[in-house]
Amino acid sequence: MTGTQIIIESILQALAAGVLVGAIYGLMCVGLAMIFGIMRVINFAQGDFMMLGMYAAYFAFTALGLQTVFGAVPGPYVAVAIAGPLLFAFGYAVHKFLIRQVTGMRTIAMEAEGHYAQLVLTLGIALVLQNGAMILFGAQLVSLRTPLTGQAWMLGPMWGDAVAVFLNQAKVVAAIVSVVIIAGLWLCIKRTRLGKSLRAAADNPEASVYVGIDVDHAHRIAFALGSAITAVAGGLLATNHPFHPFVGLDYVIVMYAGVVLGGIGSVIGAFWGGMTIGLVQQLSILVLPTQLQNATIFVFFLLIVIWRPQGFFGRVTERT
Amino acid sequence: MLDVEGLRSGYSEVAVLQDVSITVGAGQFVSIVGPNGAGKTTLFKTLSGILTPMAGSIRFDGEDLLTVRPAERAHRGIAHVPEGRQVFASLTVLENLEMGAFTRMGRAAWQVNIQRIFAWFPVLRQRADQLAGTLSGGEQQMLAIGRGLASQPKLLMLDEPSMGLAPAMADFVFEKLMEIRKDTGLTILLVEQRVAEALQFADHAYVLETGRVVLDGTRETLQADDRIRQAYLGM
Amino acid sequence: MAFLRSLLPYFTFAAGYLVVAMLVENSYYQLIITLVLVWASFGLSWNMLSGYTGLISFGHASFFGLGAFATVLAQIHLGWSPWIMLPVSALIGALAGVLIGLPTFRLRGHYFALSMLAYPLAMSYVFQWLGKPEITIPRVLDHPALFLQFEDRRVYSVLALLLLTVIVVITRWIERTRFGMSLVAIKQNEAAAEAAGVDTLRWKLKAIAVSGAIAGAVGSFYAVVILVITPSSVFGMLVSAQALTVAMFGGVGTVWGPIIGATVLIPIAETLHAVIGSYLPGIQGVIYGLAIIILIIAAPEGVFWKGVDLIRRRRVPAAGTVPSGAGGVSRAASVEPAGGASPASRISDRIMLDVRGVSKRFGGLRAVRNVSFQVRKGEILGIIGPNGAGKTTLFNLLNGFQKPDQGQVLLHGSDLAGCRPHFACRAGIGRTFQVMRPFKRWSVANNVKVGAYVRAASEEEARAIAREAVAQVGLSAISDRPASALTTKQLRLLELARAIAGRPEILLLDETLAGLGSEEAKEVVAVIRTLAATGLTILIIEHTMQAMVQLVDRFIVLDHGQLLTEGLPEAIVKDPRVIEAYLGAKWAAHA
Repeated sequence: MTGTQIIIESILQALAAGVLVGAIYGLMCVGLAMIFGIMRVINFAQGDFMMLGMYAAYFAFTALGLQTVFGAVPGPYVAVAIAGPLLFAFGYAVHKFLIRQVTGMRTIAMEAEGHYAQLVLTLGIALVLQNGAMILFGAQLVSLRTPLTGQAWMLGPMWGDAVAVFLNQAKVVAAIVSVVIIAGLWLCIKRTRLGKSLRAAADNPEASVYVGIDVDHAHRIAFALGSAITAVAGGLLATNHPFHPFVGLDYVIVMYAGVVLGGIGSVIGAFWGGMTIGLVQQLSILVLPTQLQNATIFVFFLLIVIWRPQGFFGRVTERT
Repeated sequence: MLDVEGLRSGYSEVAVLQDVSITVGAGQFVSIVGPNGAGKTTLFKTLSGILTPMAGSIRFDGEDLLTVRPAERAHRGIAHVPEGRQVFASLTVLENLEMGAFTRMGRAAWQVNIQRIFAWFPVLRQRADQLAGTLSGGEQQMLAIGRGLASQPKLLMLDEPSMGLAPAMADFVFEKLMEIRKDTGLTILLVEQRVAEALQFADHAYVLETGRVVLDGTRETLQADDRIRQAYLGM
Repeated sequence: MAFLRSLLPYFTFAAGYLVVAMLVENSYYQLIITLVLVWASFGLSWNMLSGYTGLISFGHASFFGLGAFATVLAQIHLGWSPWIMLPVSALIGALAGVLIGLPTFRLRGHYFALSMLAYPLAMSYVFQWLGKPEITIPRVLDHPALFLQFEDRRVYSVLALLLLTVIVVITRWIERTRFGMSLVAIKQNEAAAEAAGVDTLRWKLKAIAVSGAIAGAVGSFYAVVILVITPSSVFGMLVSAQALTVAMFGGVGTVWGPIIGATVLIPIAETLHAVIGSYLPGIQGVIYGLAIIILIIAAPEGVFWKGVDLIRRRRVPAAGTVPSGAGGVSRAASVEPAGGASPASRISDRIMLDVRGVSKRFGGLRAVRNVSFQVRKGEILGIIGPNGAGKTTLFNLLNGFQKPDQGQVLLHGSDLAGCRPHFACRAGIGRTFQVMRPFKRWSVANNVKVGAYVRAASEEEARAIAREAVAQVGLSAISDRPASALTTKQLRLLELARAIAGRPEILLLDETLAGLGSEEAKEVVAVIRTLAATGLTILIIEHTMQAMVQLVDRFIVLDHGQLLTEGLPEAIVKDPRVIEAYLGAKWAAHA
């Protein structure tokens, strides 16, 4: 193998890993985009909702005996599917009892002063979730491993049998599931009455009231749905990344970077934003130390918000 | 049908409306005219529940509206076509109309209504798949009215439909309104700065000035009254 | 002297705290006593930026952590004493503040908060990568005091109290000068602050520099007290959250906030951590989180302000018996005859403002199209036109909020088009706004003082100018009353006073009569007349025509962004084009 081939191989490997992890990041970002795009609410606790989704899947798998019922390979995915509705209910309740107090109809007549309260409120929720999880679940790393986690498909060998790319099977499955969920969600938002009413509520809350859309209710659905999607993304991520109660902090920046990159309010944009973050992260490992991959994302995020807060993907509607 | 009494309303602590009383009978066309800043939009926002009144009562079809949640008021049969149109810019024209039919009655009568709306405003049919934000001002106004009609309302509230439109387009919109009224017999409450147009079609009109009703009566009595001119031009 | 007297409550508190600290022998409790002061100081650092400017920072751990790491690393590698590193850390914090502030102040609201969160997290990873997962201050055996190491833990509490005192004095001093007042003006309404001559970016950078300096010094001291630091213990989210929590819990925008917050929350969190922390390891975070949640729902401005409001409300019935409106304005009204100098003598021939062909478009909308007009010194010019005619946009072009696409705005012959608002204000263009946003807890006099800084070299002078401006609008009798207790009319007069405190040559009034009854409007009109009589040139946008025709010398009429016509009031109200624009074409025909 020549030096060039080694370089090519590592670049291809990083690209493949970037696309796979990027698809999951994309799903996470879509969850956040539901909330951020529709309610214009920053949920600092979004990463921690994801962490709860991971633990929900983990306990569903281990404690409910899904392994024996469904087997070792499908079991974790069934667990992830259970985590979704659980976090939907959780998000619904958090909105109903807390978030609603400082957003939506209560602030519709206010002029942009309302947002600082919700920023701080979700920070409080994040602290309670992180530390509460540490009390309940402990600080040790756990993971939702499937037999697929240790297996890989090989692409190649190509280029004179010298270059081969390995695709981790768990990551491939997770990426495919992510893409399918996003496609389904996209159809739901585009085509169904509920989806359209969510978009209308995001576009113009005041006019939504005039046509009979209950904006608070629309927000609650968006918040719950966004929580559920992020939780599923977390569950999928957990099939090949071990996690702990403070895992949310690393990913909340990933999510916001993706959403901002994708252009606020655009679900498809958020997916491509997440994909980009995945690629940047994996490619950065080629030139930078592994410990700095999260720092790279943070710096990347800062560059995006400072130089192009309107994002790169998706259409930007002018707002006055 | 609509009965407003002693309404006092405004933003935070500033009362824009003072003791406003207005009645709209079923099938009537009622206009409220007055210069900018008289409180016309505040009145509409209070009727729709975006603002909560400090005093007074609002009854609609015999029911106390203040006990009805804002979003629910559309379902009771009030369609509010807001000032500045406020179409859903990022939705298509057809989706905007579908959102107009979000109400229970609107959904039931969707097939009939959409055909009628397209008949009144053929341009909306041509632009059905276009994003509403890309329409011209006049087209957006038609869409906003169409969205209101799609809800199958009992009362259509129009807030300054002529605002920002070229005179010819404003005339067109008013003609359409009359056509719609003739076809449906709908009850209409219009707020308008352009007095002549607003009075031309009205059964009854109110003149609002700095938050108070200073004058009301039929078209004929108001048109003869010089106080309107004074309210607007000061002399 | 008044300054020192205002610090009296704090010194009383400090003395009491010192006595308590001296009495505690147990070293663990002594540590809590020290930490309360440390976190109160750190809360004050947060308050300096976020409390006064309203830009919520979730990343104050950046400055804190840099100070802490600098101090420990300097002692390990260079042998420098923390005594030296304390001021050095403050410098590092200030520098980091400016470096972070420069790019980040371009952002607002959510984006600002999120970006601030990213800085300390990124730093934390960098320090981990540098191989500093945990570092300890080396023990010094010879002359430990030279390295801030003391056997008696009480010394740390005394030092912490000194640090806090310095910070409180600095904060109070800033609060009372134009620095603090400018920050609060920014929080209240950044655009209005700019229009009142406040260079907002400069003040924000100063605020983050001071804030960063305090945080750096506190982080440095914290490292000395705690001895062992890790990236997550000084850069972690809990650190930033703690600053925010103690300040917000106690009260935003006051020195007392962080002190109250820290005194209540730190002992609870630390004690619980000590008692049950071994089996409930995250209990501190849960407590801070719950404190924030409860606070936001129940008392969003914090305990201190809740208390102030409660006390004030109890006092209000007594204050309410003073007749609220009448006293204030009678004076202005009585001036009216004198103020009604004839236009001819008031208006000079000199052209004050010469607007030449200004245009502005927003996307497809041509908000202002090729508008030209001139205003002579001493004139009162009314700008009228239907909704959406472009009146407010025109004002924005005149005072620098927006840059015209074409055209010139000549004041005394020099072009102001596109310069920043605070510059336009300095050049002599003052303005008021449709939406009033006074600082509610401040007195009338202080609200007006913000507008006076642009012309004042000292606090004394600002106060004098403000007093004069308050008198000119006839509010002297109530100049000590908080703005929250004023009527709409009084608030409009307050806005006027704030604008004239900047000693403008031209005053732009945007719907100054909105929301007033006709009697009240008359009183405000009388005040505007007396201002014009002093030689001030006034441009006014207004819908209430009755008041306008009495007030102005000349009208310009805008419609669809264009200058429709201009002329004397009598001519304008008879002009068919004006009647058409206002009352509709058909009315014009029938009239």
